[in-house]
Amino acid sequence: MAEEVKKSRPAPDPNSAKFKLGQIAAKAYSDAMEAKKRGEKIGWCASNFPVEIPATLGLYVCYPENQAAGIAARGGGERMCNVSEGDGYSNDICAYARISLAYAKLKEAPEQDMPMPDFMLCCNNICNCMIKWYENIAKELNIPMIMIDIPFNPDYEVSDAETEYIKAQFWDAIHQLEEITGKKWTDEQFKKVMEYSGRASRAWIEATSQAKYVPSPFNGFDLLNHMAVMVTARGTAQAGDAMETLLKEYIDNHEKGVSTFRAEEKYRIMFEGIACWPWLRVTSTGLKSRGINMVTTIYADAFGFIYDDFDGMCRAYANVPNCMNLEHSRDKRVKLCRENHVEGLLVHTNRSCKLWSGFMPEMSRQIGEACGIPVTSFDGDQADPRNFSEAQYDTRVQGLMEIMEANKGGNE
Amino acid sequence: MKGKELLAQLHEAASSPKKQLEKYLAQGKKVVAVAPVYTPNEIIHSMGLVPMGVWGADVEINEAKKYFPAFICSIMQTALELGIKGEYDGVSAIVIPSLCDSLKCLGQNWKYAVKNIPFIPMTYPQNRKPDYGKKFTKAGYARVISDLTIATGAQFSEFALAESIKVYNEHNAVMREFAEIAADADITAAARNDVFKSAWFMLPEEHTAIVKKLNEALKAGPKAKGKLRVLVTGILADSPSLLKIFDENGVKVVFDDVAHESRQYRTDVPDMENPVDAMAQKFADMGNCTLLYDPDKNRVDYIVEQAKAHKADGVIVLMTKFCDPEEFDYVPIKRACAAAGLKHLNIEVDRQMVNYQQAATMVQAFKEMF
Ligand code: SF4
Ligand code: SF4
Repeated sequence: MAEEVKKSRPAPDPNSAKFKLGQIAAKAYSDAMEAKKRGEKIGWCASNFPVEIPATLGLYVCYPENQAAGIAARGGGERMCNVSEGDGYSNDICAYARISLAYAKLKEAPEQDMPMPDFMLCCNNICNCMIKWYENIAKELNIPMIMIDIPFNPDYEVSDAETEYIKAQFWDAIHQLEEITGKKWTDEQFKKVMEYSGRASRAWIEATSQAKYVPSPFNGFDLLNHMAVMVTARGTAQAGDAMETLLKEYIDNHEKGVSTFRAEEKYRIMFEGIACWPWLRVTSTGLKSRGINMVTTIYADAFGFIYDDFDGMCRAYANVPNCMNLEHSRDKRVKLCRENHVEGLLVHTNRSCKLWSGFMPEMSRQIGEACGIPVTSFDGDQADPRNFSEAQYDTRVQGLMEIMEANKGGNE
Repeated sequence: MKGKELLAQLHEAASSPKKQLEKYLAQGKKVVAVAPVYTPNEIIHSMGLVPMGVWGADVEINEAKKYFPAFICSIMQTALELGIKGEYDGVSAIVIPSLCDSLKCLGQNWKYAVKNIPFIPMTYPQNRKPDYGKKFTKAGYARVISDLTIATGAQFSEFALAESIKVYNEHNAVMREFAEIAADADITAAARNDVFKSAWFMLPEEHTAIVKKLNEALKAGPKAKGKLRVLVTGILADSPSLLKIFDENGVKVVFDDVAHESRQYRTDVPDMENPVDAMAQKFADMGNCTLLYDPDKNRVDYIVEQAKAHKADGVIVLMTKFCDPEEFDYVPIKRACAAAGLKHLNIEVDRQMVNYQQAATMVQAFKEMF
């Protein structure tokens, strides 16, 4: 399937970041497939589960959220959601979960296949929805579930008690996995993985920060694709290499005065939320046609897994978006808005994601005030195409643009 | 006092939380609001404070819309709405656990929407059984205690906690006994709910005293006959209109797995040397709930077992709209009921429901299946 998709597009430069990143993302699936065929035990893994653990143990894992996004982007979201709904799952449930539950039942999807799991790796630092989703699959398939609980942090800093709790669970998870798979943890291997992850994270942060230039050397929609590698492969040497290539390209772009945003950049916005994968082109065109570049998202910050030791890693996983309190989440976004000269905030009120959307109205009001920028939201869903209205999106984006235009006038 | 009078007393408390709040305030007590689904009420009580439940109400949502998008459950929406509208004024603080994604959001919104009532987070671990989990539960309690002291000036002592634990364990036992007696006694679904609902607005010792007497009266009273016996499961089952439909159709609640009702009373605080350790052990021992990590889906088996133990003819799932944890559990529950030969009915409920016609039709049709 991956090959078919590639054939239909012009052959990209094999030395380009885009090609390298695409390869890594595709290889993550094919490697897991092959490992499964060899008889190795495969895991399904939550996107913000500490990948250092399976990476150090040399385990192959797949990411249901990434798969669901792929299926949705290629038009299969509604079909898969219908399968789950047919089984009795409410359409209020996160569409990633609905797609994943459908895949666990059907065991195939032409848009993106992945091997069936032998164990589930769950981490609820992004949402508790994840717990129920993984519980159901683990029970249904009768496989073990490893649960790392990183509770929503009501405070700004991660407390010692929380770090200790997370650390104990990390070790527990490592030992359980050793038992399940027969693989062994070594500190030397962990050190290597930590370095890879740090290298990829540093390059990612640096690359995304190139949006500080006006115009930005890239179209922020690129990040939505590239971040797949940060999710699935940040513990590998290849990821670091590809991210450094990306950084280099963005620096070059800036020096040459070019950009992957192929239009005149008239306005710069921050996009808040997960992409509407089924409507990616529509949402992207709606901005580009107006000269609006989405220069940053919280993802620019989210994959900054930079730490020096095991404790640092524990804290890093408690500092992911959706796990931080309103003030901490807000300040991270305010910083991104300021550093990247953002003129407006476009918020995706994501029907699938209660946690991401549940305090967004207040938080985005505060961001707007702190940065003196207009804030607009639209209704959508990251994977169920039925929850998005093109007309509403268009009206809202137009409205945002008009305020940004008026603000420019006011400043002159 | 006769059963009827006792029930009337509980009905009064269940339907006028504001009056209860004012009563306690007039007695010079400080009241602490507690949000769903679990909070360390024994600790709050031991500090001389009155915990009162905040599960929203059947009201329209206006102000809360500025904070919550429409797809958050109506319990969270209306709890915030009432907070904004000043219904809880006089309360010293609110303790909100983060057991589901919507509860996490309630805490964050509360800080800005209801500035006069301080938000106290209670962070429970999902891996609550291992020693490291219990240790983290205790860290959560310590946080609540220190925030309560700041908000109210009340002090904590282990001695007082040990006393409160006794009060709560006794209340648990009395409530469990009530649920069993009510399975066969001639009591309406509405009255049964009053008993559970009133518990959220009364001091446990006061509630225990009334329910004890009620249990005696019900034991001596007539038994229900010719009813369709059901186990009800869900987060909340307090809608008067819905309960009326049950009663009008001869549907008898013989047991419940409702978060607002029996789930609260299943687990006692064990007898241990240190009462805070004992509290953490209680949380570790809890289970059979959608909000507590349950990889074996024990809750599903529990529902089937309890339905059988109480000779239920069927199971009614009251699905709170937009409650994703419960929506996930529904499918395994549905399958387990089918496998056990138990008929089930799924009714979606929320606090803004005005038209119960559909629910009535569903209940009637369900009844006809037997
Ligand atoms: S979209 Fe939201 S609810 Fe769904 S898996 Fe991601 S974080 Fe969880
Ligand atoms: S009803 Fe469900 S979604 Fe709402 S607060 Fe309770 S558990 Fe959370």
